[in-house]
Amino acid sequence: MNKTKIGIFLSLLLLIGLTSCGEQKSNSKLVLNEILINNQSNFQDDYGLHSAWIEIFNKSFGSTDLAACLLKVSNQPGDTVTYFIPKGDILTSVKPRQHALFWADGEPNRGTFHTSFKLNPKTANWIGLFDSGKKLLDQIVVPAGTLGPNQSYARVSDGATEWEVKSGSGDKYVTPSTNNKTLDSNAKKEKFEEHDANGIGMAISAMSVVFCGLILLFIAFKIVGKAAVNLSKRNAMKSKGIDKHEAKELSQAPGEVYAAISMALHEMQDEVHDVEETVLTITRVKRSYSPWSSKIYTLRETPSRK
Amino acid sequence: MGDFINFLGNNLADFWTYTGFANATVGHVVMILVGLVFIYLAVAKEFEPMLLIPIGFGILIGNIPFNMDAGLKVGIYEEGSVLNILYQGVTSGWYPPLIFLGIGAMTDFSALISNPKLMLIGAAAQFGIFGAYMIALAMGFDPMQAGAIGIIGGADGPTAIFLSSKLAPNLMGAIAVSAYSYMALVPVIQPPIMRLLTTKNERIIRMKPPRAVSHTEKVIFPIIGLLLTCFLVPSGLPLLGMLFFGNLLKESGVTRRLANTASGPLIDTITILLGLTVGASTQASEFLTFDSIKIFALGALSFVIATTSGVIFVKIFNLFLKKDNKINPLIGNAGVSAVPDSARISQVIGLEYDSTNYLLMHAMGPNVAGVIGSAVAAGILLGFLM
Repeated sequence: MNKTKIGIFLSLLLLIGLTSCGEQKSNSKLVLNEILINNQSNFQDDYGLHSAWIEIFNKSFGSTDLAACLLKVSNQPGDTVTYFIPKGDILTSVKPRQHALFWADGEPNRGTFHTSFKLNPKTANWIGLFDSGKKLLDQIVVPAGTLGPNQSYARVSDGATEWEVKSGSGDKYVTPSTNNKTLDSNAKKEKFEEHDANGIGMAISAMSVVFCGLILLFIAFKIVGKAAVNLSKRNAMKSKGIDKHEAKELSQAPGEVYAAISMALHEMQDEVHDVEETVLTITRVKRSYSPWSSKIYTLRETPSRK
Repeated sequence: MGDFINFLGNNLADFWTYTGFANATVGHVVMILVGLVFIYLAVAKEFEPMLLIPIGFGILIGNIPFNMDAGLKVGIYEEGSVLNILYQGVTSGWYPPLIFLGIGAMTDFSALISNPKLMLIGAAAQFGIFGAYMIALAMGFDPMQAGAIGIIGGADGPTAIFLSSKLAPNLMGAIAVSAYSYMALVPVIQPPIMRLLTTKNERIIRMKPPRAVSHTEKVIFPIIGLLLTCFLVPSGLPLLGMLFFGNLLKESGVTRRLANTASGPLIDTITILLGLTVGASTQASEFLTFDSIKIFALGALSFVIATTSGVIFVKIFNLFLKKDNKINPLIGNAGVSAVPDSARISQVIGLEYDSTNYLLMHAMGPNVAGVIGSAVAAGILLGFLM
């Protein structure tokens, strides 16, 4: 019976595990983040030239290395150009939540961050990022005619799923090598300052969670405790060869019964008399001692001064 | 000859500008006196000597005046100095989880497992944190600073350091010293509140002796404890994870060497480094501010609120319990997780009113629940405010 229950429990666990695996989102750490194709007067490279650029964002909270990754571009089906990101350059390691910018200028000899391909402003551009094992990490198609000069196609914020055209006006400014959305305030702090200036909301919600956590533990250990007590009882009955009914009877026997049995045993073993000279009185003794009453627990140890 | 004497004179004058005497300020003297008071309390009064000796001496180290413009790399706030390197365990928050590992490896959760309802007292005492949070907001601190200050009420030094290093690093020195100071002063702060809030009849309530806890239950506790609390508050993982891991090392019975290391040499080493560097971080130029004074006042208040709420919660809880199952409200203070001092206070006060009523092990239940509760509360504050 128990084995069946354990089997069902394990199957359920497996099922839950498999289901949740199926729902997992892409866990690529590196994503394409912003692309500018027609660079007239935007960001300059280290040679002072205006070229198209591709920004990659490390959305994880650990450094990730781009070395040996592949950047691929295609302007038409079947025509794909690949740029192998060189190994051995420490700058290819992208710090947590930071960016790497590649110049799509067709000049790979100018350095690690200059690709072997160019982007074509007149056609659609498919750009793919692959890891060293040629597994696709991220891809994007910049449709033809979407971008004007100095406009970029970017995720709304770093790593977000939605893309938008950044025209450079208002809050839609082009952001090479920096956050797509500038965080110039502490949103959480401001939210608390605005809605919970006196802290009551925080106190109520946080205390609710603290109580929930400890109530969960309480319930769990109430159940575990009961199971453990039942188990130990069952084991004890098994070892003594008695059933539930007998155990109940035994547990209900008054102290006097045990005293009488002990006395009878004592008489049998040591002093067998027909007539007793003494009167036996039995008084229930309440033991106030427990291992906890040990004095070592009562106070801090007395300082020993020599 | 005259030039040589002149040279010697200039050298000595130059040397003088580097000495502590030339650079001493009133702030340094005040802080050195504070350090001496800590050492006095530890040695003469035996108030938490394991904490107050390193912190007190650390205050002396951190407040030796020196020429800060000389780039000697001796100060705790000078990058690359030895003290600065040791202090990184505090600023980057990895000392506290290691302390929790040791606490887990030396804590027996049996009292809590045998009587799980005592966990709720540990939860109630966390009102101290959020009471102090509200008062800190009213005093003009921003929510993140208020959260870091409030955690002093959790009475858990490592937790306070961990949280303040994340939420308000600039207040960490004052918060850490305040938390440890008040933990040392638990025997002074708690008894009057406990007496004030309880009647004589309540103080002599005898609690049922708890049942024996099986080995299996003790092994299951850290596993279930980790899963339940960290699924609810993942941001508490560094502290709770290490606490329960340490406990599993102890209770599994098969990793005795690891448990002994965690609960002995490791926690001792980290305690020395933590205490010393926290003390040294109270460099007068950084520490002696009006904010520090406010933090000390708030720290005292948070302990008072935590103790009060623990005791009152037990009294309310008793209204719903059967007559033979009542809880002695004197263990309510133990929800403040200063382990095991607040549990000892319950025992001492309980014995004052009934010399055969031993409350220590009963009080250990809420006491260790308080450790879990304060780590959970820290995780919540981190999750809400970061």
